[in-house]
Amino acid sequence: MWKIYASSSLSLLLAAGLTWAQGGLPTGPSPAGSQGAQAGFSAPAGGVFESNTFLEMSNRIFDPTSDSMDFENGSFDWKGKKFNITEQRAFRARFERFLLASPSQEEEQYAALMEDILNRLSVSNNNDDDAILDTWQLLFRATDFAIDGGNSTIVANQVFNAWRVRKESRGVALSQKELADIRKYQQDVVANRTRMADQLRLQRMRDAGKKGSEDAAAADSGALAPLSEASFRVLDLAETEARILALEAEAASTGIQAKLQFQSQIVSFLMQRRFEHALVLSGFYQWLFKGSHQRLEVGRSQLEQLLPGSDLNYTVDSMSFLAREAINDVESGVDAVNAAYREGRTILALERLQEVFFLGEYLTQLNRIPTGQRRHLLDLYRGLMEASDLAESKDYSGLAELVEKIAGLAEDFPKTRALAGIETAKSMSDMAVFAASQYRNLGQIEQAREELRQAIDIWPSNPAIREFQMETTKLATAGSQGLKIFDDLYQRNERRAIYERRMELGFALSDDNERRPLLMEVVDQVARIELLVKQSQELVKQGEAYAAWELLIEAARIDRSDGPLNQARAELAPRVSDFVRQLDQADSLAESGQHAAALAAYLAAQDVYPASKTCRVGIAREAADLMRGLQPVEAGMPDN
Amino acid sequence: MFLIRRQSAPHLLSSMLLAGLVLGSLLLTACSRGEFSGLETLPVGDYVQKPDNFLGNTYQLTVQIDSQIVWEEGVGRILAVLADGSSSRVPVFVPDGIEQNLHVGQRYRMRVNIRQGGLIYVENLRKF
Repeated sequence: MWKIYASSSLSLLLAAGLTWAQGGLPTGPSPAGSQGAQAGFSAPAGGVFESNTFLEMSNRIFDPTSDSMDFENGSFDWKGKKFNITEQRAFRARFERFLLASPSQEEEQYAALMEDILNRLSVSNNNDDDAILDTWQLLFRATDFAIDGGNSTIVANQVFNAWRVRKESRGVALSQKELADIRKYQQDVVANRTRMADQLRLQRMRDAGKKGSEDAAAADSGALAPLSEASFRVLDLAETEARILALEAEAASTGIQAKLQFQSQIVSFLMQRRFEHALVLSGFYQWLFKGSHQRLEVGRSQLEQLLPGSDLNYTVDSMSFLAREAINDVESGVDAVNAAYREGRTILALERLQEVFFLGEYLTQLNRIPTGQRRHLLDLYRGLMEASDLAESKDYSGLAELVEKIAGLAEDFPKTRALAGIETAKSMSDMAVFAASQYRNLGQIEQAREELRQAIDIWPSNPAIREFQMETTKLATAGSQGLKIFDDLYQRNERRAIYERRMELGFALSDDNERRPLLMEVVDQVARIELLVKQSQELVKQGEAYAAWELLIEAARIDRSDGPLNQARAELAPRVSDFVRQLDQADSLAESGQHAAALAAYLAAQDVYPASKTCRVGIAREAADLMRGLQPVEAGMPDN
Repeated sequence: MFLIRRQSAPHLLSSMLLAGLVLGSLLLTACSRGEFSGLETLPVGDYVQKPDNFLGNTYQLTVQIDSQIVWEEGVGRILAVLADGSSSRVPVFVPDGIEQNLHVGQRYRMRVNIRQGGLIYVENLRKF
């Protein structure tokens, strides 16, 4: 890695120099720069990393809501039935309130009372008028409980209204009977008058035949008197008929209205998830209306919303069935939540609880979830919501801390996946910053800006972005002083200092053909020392002290005065003193031309660390030098 | 008396032959160790630390050959040997004039001279 870094730095310096040499400060992308950029590093150019990737992942991990809840469309899907879920914030508030609440004795009493009412309304029980009246009166006790929300009063009023309509219908029936009697009397009167008129007309026709035609006219005028009376009687009869019809219409209208109000209220209770009240109202309906009136005639549009795609004919019985099924589902849902929680599947328990809560928000079955469990799930719910917010705002540091906390609350939380996602996002942002800095160093401002925008988009609070900005500012102001600084440092052989300021000096010396190679040489050397020292430290960690020392020897050959190198040597020397002593002696003897003694010292050092590359090279070198020295001597010496 | 003389003559002859054999073997032994007798053994540890202190001296060394470092025709070879009583290997130069097949792992007794630069120059060696 260090080697790559060092070489890439050099290539960048070179590329920067080339680019600047072609025309000073470049204002746009250049072909040479692009090639250099492509060859020198791999940047996530072109938006390879989609910033939405993390958000999608976080939505899956941190969103505790159930799949059956659709806050965008505001609907909750339960077995193909759609309920209006309102907006997420309101639901959260109600759900958190539930998690904060504790089951109370009052709620238990209410549950018992509602159960009693439902039992009384059951067809298997005594349901005479007195029993129904008693049951009706219980509704006023139920309405005293806060959890009832006054809905029992609505039921009681509906029942009372139906009774009143029935009573009014009885009064109307009485009036109808009286009018029918009058009508019969009037019909008889009208019939008599007609019969009498007919008889008179026949009598006069016979008499007219005797007296002549003069008297016939007088006879006709005398017959008009009874006919006019009959006409009046006919009018009376018609008036009575009309009154009867009006009374019949009024009675029918009042009865239908009561039935429709009842049906409408049952559907309304279902829509509001007041399943117990829907059942109670249905129970009263069964006893107040005839079996032929069970078909639902109102609330069709509401039912279409609740049961989309269904063209069945619904009855009050089917509404009761729906309410009963929902109550049973809440019952089994609570069992599932408690079981999941007991088994440590806390995330699963939270998801299922939200479904159960929404469906059974007004049912006392939810009280079977213990208070401690509610508090734990509340902490988890709040944590997940906060994590979701942090993920959306891309605060990865805060999110990582929160992930640890959530993992402590829920064993089944996918902690590793969450942390991996965070790290990936961070890395991608870092890579974009790195690419931006390299484009900047090449003078490709537009690309640098694009990479920086991407880095900010992925991780706005990335500390590397701040560093990048500070570095850019520093580079912009350091250009004019660069020459003098480099000359001073180079004369004092402050190679490490040059290396530390390589970026700004690279900018300053980019068009200086004399100093630029010197700068590159120094950067190359110190980068290599840096690399060797780092490798040495790694070897020390692995217990390879002699091998580590060998690397420091190699680094020292580059620059013995390097500060960090000497510090590393000082720290390691005591651990390899036997080896160092022999090597130092070998080097010293080799320098003074005592090749045989140097060879002996290298052999002794090799005995300490047989894998030593320094010893192997030293032995070969000293042996060769020794042989060279022996050649002329041996040629002139007599054989012994 | 005559019988006694005839019996003692062969006895005397065999005694003289035995004595001659013993004397001859003693002479041979003395001659074979003669090159290394009277020589001190090189203190290898001290030599490695301060080779200059031993320049010009002649020693005997009992070694086992560890490896051959270099060989040059007409000049000789440099061997890394492990001396008895020492844990460090030392280099010795065997001139080309000593015509012996030297193998790694073989043990030799050597007559060595410490020359310029601390060179351990093998003057003679015998395998044992």
